[in-house]
Amino acid sequence: MPRSNRRESFLPRKLRQAFSNGIVYLLLLAGSGFMLFPLFWMLSTSLKTMEEANSPRITWWPAQPQADAYHEVLTDSRWLLYFSNSAFVTTLAVLGTLISVAAVAYAFSRIQWPGRNIVFFLMLSTLMLPYQTTLVPQYVMFNKIGWVGTYNPIVIPGFFAGGALYIFLLRQFMMGLPKELDEAALIDGANYFQIWRHIILPLCKPALATIAVFLFVGNWNALQAPLIYLQRANMYTLPVVIANLINPQVQVQPWPLIMAASALTMIPLVVVFFFTQRYILESVALTGTKG
Amino acid sequence: MNPKLYTFLWAIATVIFIILSSLAVASLAKLIARWRGKNRLYQSRTFAGYFFASPWIVGYIIFVIGPTLASLYWSFTRFKLPDPPVWVGPQNYIQLLTADDQFRVSILNSLYVTFFGLPLQLATALVLALLLYRRLPGEQAFRMIYYLPVMLAASSAMLITWRLVLNPNNGILNTLIRMIESIFPFLVPVRQGMVWFTEITNAAFIGLQRGNFNLLYQTIAQGLPGPEVMPLWHQSQLWSKPAIIFIGVWSCGTMMMIYLAALCSVPTHLYEAALVDGASGWQRFWRITFPMISPATFYNLVVGIIATLQIFEQSYVLTDNGGPAQSTYFVAYYLWRSTFRFNKIGYGAAMSWILLVLILILTLIQFRLANKWVYYEYEEA
Repeated sequence: MPRSNRRESFLPRKLRQAFSNGIVYLLLLAGSGFMLFPLFWMLSTSLKTMEEANSPRITWWPAQPQADAYHEVLTDSRWLLYFSNSAFVTTLAVLGTLISVAAVAYAFSRIQWPGRNIVFFLMLSTLMLPYQTTLVPQYVMFNKIGWVGTYNPIVIPGFFAGGALYIFLLRQFMMGLPKELDEAALIDGANYFQIWRHIILPLCKPALATIAVFLFVGNWNALQAPLIYLQRANMYTLPVVIANLINPQVQVQPWPLIMAASALTMIPLVVVFFFTQRYILESVALTGTKG
Repeated sequence: MNPKLYTFLWAIATVIFIILSSLAVASLAKLIARWRGKNRLYQSRTFAGYFFASPWIVGYIIFVIGPTLASLYWSFTRFKLPDPPVWVGPQNYIQLLTADDQFRVSILNSLYVTFFGLPLQLATALVLALLLYRRLPGEQAFRMIYYLPVMLAASSAMLITWRLVLNPNNGILNTLIRMIESIFPFLVPVRQGMVWFTEITNAAFIGLQRGNFNLLYQTIAQGLPGPEVMPLWHQSQLWSKPAIIFIGVWSCGTMMMIYLAALCSVPTHLYEAALVDGASGWQRFWRITFPMISPATFYNLVVGIIATLQIFEQSYVLTDNGGPAQSTYFVAYYLWRSTFRFNKIGYGAAMSWILLVLILILTLIQFRLANKWVYYEYEEA
């Protein structure tokens, strides 16, 4: 908030400032509590015994925290397979999408070519298209060519610069780089590919990191497409498995195990976010102001 | 063959295909440029531009244009795989819009979450942004904590955690509410009032939605709930949509960041001028801050509507297949269910077109209304 210009005695104003800052801090802390309490509960439950987790009496933190549930997940070959499935799908999809998005954003920002504005407008208009409009016919297409039941429909479409929002975000970033870079390199005899690879991409590292994180989160959490395309249990990714963990037929759910598996699934997301949050928070602000 | 190796080989084949098709598209563009008598530099720019843009152009043709046109055709057919589609005219649309009760329920549920959830999300995001805008020490950490839920919100793991958190009997949320109430007992009647209000409004909504008001009469007959009645969240049809809205509010970090950026771009001289004129903090907010950040509100609203209408994971994981009593059937969920569970491709295609038209209409209305309340800097000149 801007400083007040009004002339007042020194002390009351300073006191008032301290008081209002205190209230803001209290509210900020309350907000943090609101954001973090589900994660706390997940962690606490994952360290409980079955009886503790299902008892109507609530214990905030288990009297004797135990890592049995984690041990059970991490030594179960099926869980390890699900983790490796998720890691495989996510890695391949992120890599393919990131590289193709970087190429397309380069074309939209650093090269003048006839038809650029029309193609760019078409690309932006796909932002309005709901996922479901292409999901149904794509299923038929993949069914025709025998890709249902494989990872292909989940991984391959991304290779064609899937994600108009990311192209837009990276284009905004590339537009901000000085024009002279390309011109000087062109005069020196570099071709467009070399400019992209050796000048533009290294300068875009923060934006590329942000997009990589968003792609990672999107693919790691993806539920709808894997549910549709994966048919054999040994190919399932983590979200599909976790979504079906609760068995409505039984009264007592193995909550510690479910929460341990959930925590292990979410740890990569939290870690990645923690190390890239500065770039991410900046980019999110950018989408709103320029969009 | 190992499924991972299979897809890996296909990925390599795809990369080769993309490079070859990009070269083809770029060469064609260059040929046209030469044919039109453009100079060498223009030709090479054309080649490079089309070469780099081709992955998207080719993908657009294969994965967007082709499927979209096919889906438009199939929406007028009865289509069950593996049989070929049979033309039935606009029957799917007529069925959806006049006869399908489940579709009507889904559309209305989606609109409910949009109209009641989105304003709550926006308000929470704005309040958090205003708190962060103070730039107190430690602001960066709070920002991070508030944004973290965005990363987790769509994850099955998070949604299943919510099932435990929102459990009406031994979930932590209701426990937390009881704990806060034991410190501030005057909050108990407030909660009773809110429980009553939520249950009445939801019962009324369900009554209007399904043309059967028995539930509303029952809820009214029960009168004001006693102090022991806690929200039932995902386990009751009167609470399942509020539960989903609650989770939406929890993950409002993106909106908050956009508001924060907008707040930082409001020129301080406006506030200084208002202070000289003796405007109160409240007046300054409504007369300066709120109009000046209206583009951010507009952006959040448009993006939010598109996102809310596509809610799927919540119905599938949190409320266990759109339950209780179909109270969390949303358009995207019902579409997925009828298309992929019941193999009604043509019907699902018609539904996706109705969803697209609905999004277009709502966005168009937003843009029309925007002239009235969204303030853009350049209008000043």
